[in-house]
Amino acid sequence: MSIRVCARDNKTFRRLLEYYSDREKAARLFRKNGGKVVGELGCDVPDELIIAAGMFPYRIYAGECSHLIEADRYLEYSFDPVVRMQFEKLTDGTLNNEIDYLAISNSTDTLIRIYLYLKEIKRSEPEKPVPDLEFIDWLFTRRLIHQTRNEFTVRLFWEKLEEWSGRKITYKDFAEAASICNEDRVAIREIMKLRRAYKPRVTGSEALVIIGSAFYMDRREHAALTRQLYEDAKKWPEINGPRIFLTGSAQENTELYELIENEGAVIVGEDHDWGERFVNRDCNLGYSPVRAVVDQYMMREFSSKKAFVSQRVEALDREVEACGAEAVMFYMNAFEEAASWDMPSQRKSLAARGIKTRAFTKMSYPVSKNSALEPGLKTFIESLKG
Amino acid sequence: MNNDNKNNAEPVRAQKSLKATAVAGAYQKEWFAGLKARVEKGEDFGYLNADVPMEILRAMDIPFVVNQWWAAICAAKRMAPKYYGLLNEQGYRDDLCSYCATAFAESLDPDDKVSGPWGGLPDPTIAITRLTCDCQSKIFELFAKNHGSELYVMENTQPRRVPPNWWELAPDRWEELYDPDRLDFAVEELKALISFLEAKTGKMFDINKLIEVMNLINEQESWYKKTRDLIAETQPAPVTVVDTINAVMQAQWQRGTRWAADHAKSLYEEIKAFVDQKRSSVPNERLRLMWLGRGLWHDFAFYQNFEEKYGAVFMWSMYLAMGADAYIRNNVEADPLRALAARYIGMEDFLHMPPWNANWFLHEAKHNRIDGVVYMVPENCMQALEGSYFVKKTLEDAGIPVLIFKADPVDARKWNRETMTGLVEDFIETRIIMGGKK
Repeated sequence: MSIRVCARDNKTFRRLLEYYSDREKAARLFRKNGGKVVGELGCDVPDELIIAAGMFPYRIYAGECSHLIEADRYLEYSFDPVVRMQFEKLTDGTLNNEIDYLAISNSTDTLIRIYLYLKEIKRSEPEKPVPDLEFIDWLFTRRLIHQTRNEFTVRLFWEKLEEWSGRKITYKDFAEAASICNEDRVAIREIMKLRRAYKPRVTGSEALVIIGSAFYMDRREHAALTRQLYEDAKKWPEINGPRIFLTGSAQENTELYELIENEGAVIVGEDHDWGERFVNRDCNLGYSPVRAVVDQYMMREFSSKKAFVSQRVEALDREVEACGAEAVMFYMNAFEEAASWDMPSQRKSLAARGIKTRAFTKMSYPVSKNSALEPGLKTFIESLKG
Repeated sequence: MNNDNKNNAEPVRAQKSLKATAVAGAYQKEWFAGLKARVEKGEDFGYLNADVPMEILRAMDIPFVVNQWWAAICAAKRMAPKYYGLLNEQGYRDDLCSYCATAFAESLDPDDKVSGPWGGLPDPTIAITRLTCDCQSKIFELFAKNHGSELYVMENTQPRRVPPNWWELAPDRWEELYDPDRLDFAVEELKALISFLEAKTGKMFDINKLIEVMNLINEQESWYKKTRDLIAETQPAPVTVVDTINAVMQAQWQRGTRWAADHAKSLYEEIKAFVDQKRSSVPNERLRLMWLGRGLWHDFAFYQNFEEKYGAVFMWSMYLAMGADAYIRNNVEADPLRALAARYIGMEDFLHMPPWNANWFLHEAKHNRIDGVVYMVPENCMQALEGSYFVKKTLEDAGIPVLIFKADPVDARKWNRETMTGLVEDFIETRIIMGGKK
C-alpha cells in the first residue's frame, strides 16, 4: 500500500512529492531570486508572519546524516537523535547555503537547550557557521496572563522579522499571508477527509507527502495543488485494512508509515507535527494580527510535549474517535521522553473504549535501525486483521 | 560507565563531622513530624518542586515539602529500587526523570504509610510545579491525582540578554540581570499564585510577612556567603561537601524561618571555630576537588573515598555556593514581590544556562583553589542538560581538568561504587597529579 501507483502516476501528487523529496528546491530558487529564507526549528514558528515579511519559511529536518561530529561535541548524550541531526546540520555548515536566519520555537524543552547552546556558540565561537537566530518563547499554559505574555512574544518576533527583511509588515501583508496559509490548511483538511473516510482513498504515507510538502514550497501553489489533488484522489481506489492512529515522535519522512502500511494497515490519523496537527487550527482574521497568531498557536490541539497527561488522554480519545481508528500505535524515539508519561493513562482510556494499542519505545533513528520493528508491526497488524 | 549494583551489597555510610549537620538532620525529622500533625488536623499542605517560589507559602504559613528534598530522603533510605519497580508495574518506564518522579512512584505504594520514609508522605492538598521541563507538568499531575491534590503550575521564560557575572548583579542590581518584561511577567505569576492560594486555603497573603521572610532569607544566605568564603580561603579545608551539602540543603528548604537563619549562623560559627583551632577535615589535604551536579544522595560515602589515598578532598558543591551567591536580594522593602521574582526566575539560568553556569563555576573554582572537577551528568533528566561542553571547556581552558560521568542522584540501581571510584582515581592520577602527561 503506502504510496500507491495511483498516486505516483498522478501529475499533481508527483509535483508535491518532488518538493517533499527535494526539500531545498524551492528555498534555493527563492534565494537565487534575492529572497531571504528563514529556517524553522520547532513546530510553533508562525509561517504567516514569515510570509508576510516577504520571506520563505523552511522547516529544518534531520534527514540522513552520516556523521554527528558537532552534535557529539556540543550535546549531551540524552538529546534525542532527530534533534542531534538537526543540530549537526545547523552547526557544520550544511544549512549555511540554505537559510539566512533561524527561528526556534519553544515547542519542546530540547529546543530551548538547542537555542541556548547555539546562542552560546555564536558568542564564544563566532567562527562557527551558525545563522542569526531568534527564539519564540511561547507559553502553553492556558491562562490570561500567558495569553497576554504570548502577545508580547509575537510582537518581538514580528519586530525581528521586520529587522531581518528590512521592511515593515503591514496589516495588508499579514492578512494576505494568513489568508494564503488558511486556504492551504482548508485544502489539506478537505483532502484528509478522503483519508478518514469509512473507505479511505488516501493512505497515511500519501497524507504525509501532501502535508509535508507544504513546508518546502510556495503555499499558494501548495493550496492549488492540494485542491486539484482532492478532485483526482476522489477517484483513487478504496483502501481496506485495519485503521491505525499513530501517536508519539514526529515522523518527518514516510519510512515508518510505509512499513506499517505495507503490512496491510492504513494510518488514518496522527497527532505529530509533520501530520494533521499542522492544519488543526486556522488564523482567525477576525482578531487583530497578534491575537490571531497567538490564538492559532496557543489554542490548537495539545502537543505531546507541552500538555498535561489528562489533556493528552482526552486529545487522543477525541482524535481517535474523529478518524475512526480501531487501534493506536505509540512510537517514541529514544530520549524523547515526555510522551512516555502520558502513555499508561492513554492506553487505559483507549482500552476502556475497545481500542487496541501497541507501544514501540526507545526507538532508534532512523526507523530502519530498529531490526525488531518489522516483526513487531506484523504481529500487531495481523492481530487486528483477525 | 554504569554497572549493576551487585558490588554495593553493604552500603557504607558517610562520616560526618559537624554538629550543624546532625542538628539539621534531627530538626528535619522533628519538623516533618510536626508537619504531619498539622496535616492530620486538616490543614492544607503543599508539595512543591524546588524551583517554585516557596517564600509565598512560607509567608502564608502553609506547610510544604519540597520534591527534591523528599526524593533525597527516599534515596538516602534506599527506597528507589522499590519505587521504580512500582512505576514499571503500572506501565511507566522506570528509567526516566528519577529525581522528579520519585515521589510520584512512592504514591503508587499501597504500604507507604507503613513502610515509607518517616511513615510516608502525607497527602498534599496542593501540588505546585514550574514548567521547566516537558515532563514536569505530567509527573506532577499524576502525583497530584494519586494524592487527591489540586495542581497548580507556573511557567518558565527564557532570557534574551545574558549579562556577565550574574553573581555580582544578583544581590542589589537584579534589574540589570533580567529583561524587564521577564520580571514583570514573573510578578504577575506570583500574584496569580497568591490568588490561588488565598482561595484554596482561606488564608490571607500579608506583604509585610513576605518582607519578614525575605529578610530572614537574606540573613541566612549571608551566613552561607561567609561560610563559603571561609572554606574557600582556608587550606586545608575545614569541612567537606559531606557535611556542607546536608547541612545547607536541609536548611535551605526551611528558608525564611528563624530556625534556618540561626542554623546558618551556627554552621558558620562551628566551621570558624574549626579554622581558629586549625582543625581540618582531611589533614593531609593535597588536592581540592569540586563536585558539579546534584548530590549523590544514595552514596555520600563516595565523596570520602579519595581522602586517604590521595589527600583529595571534595570541598565544593553548588549547594553552599548557590546559597552564598544566588539567593540574597537586598532592599526587598521597596518591592518584595519583584525581589522574589528576581530570585526565583534566575535559579534555572544560573545553574543550567551557559555561559552563566560555566562562568560561575570557573569563578568559584578559582576562588576555592580547585585542582580538579568531577561533574555528574544524569542520563535521564532534560533539566540537567546544561551545556556540559561549555562548562568543561571553560574550566579546562583555565587549566582545571574536568571528569564528566553519568550517574543518577537518587537511583542507586546502576551505581557501582568500585567502578566509579576507579574512574575518579584514574582522573586524579592522570589528569590532576600527572597533568595529563601519563
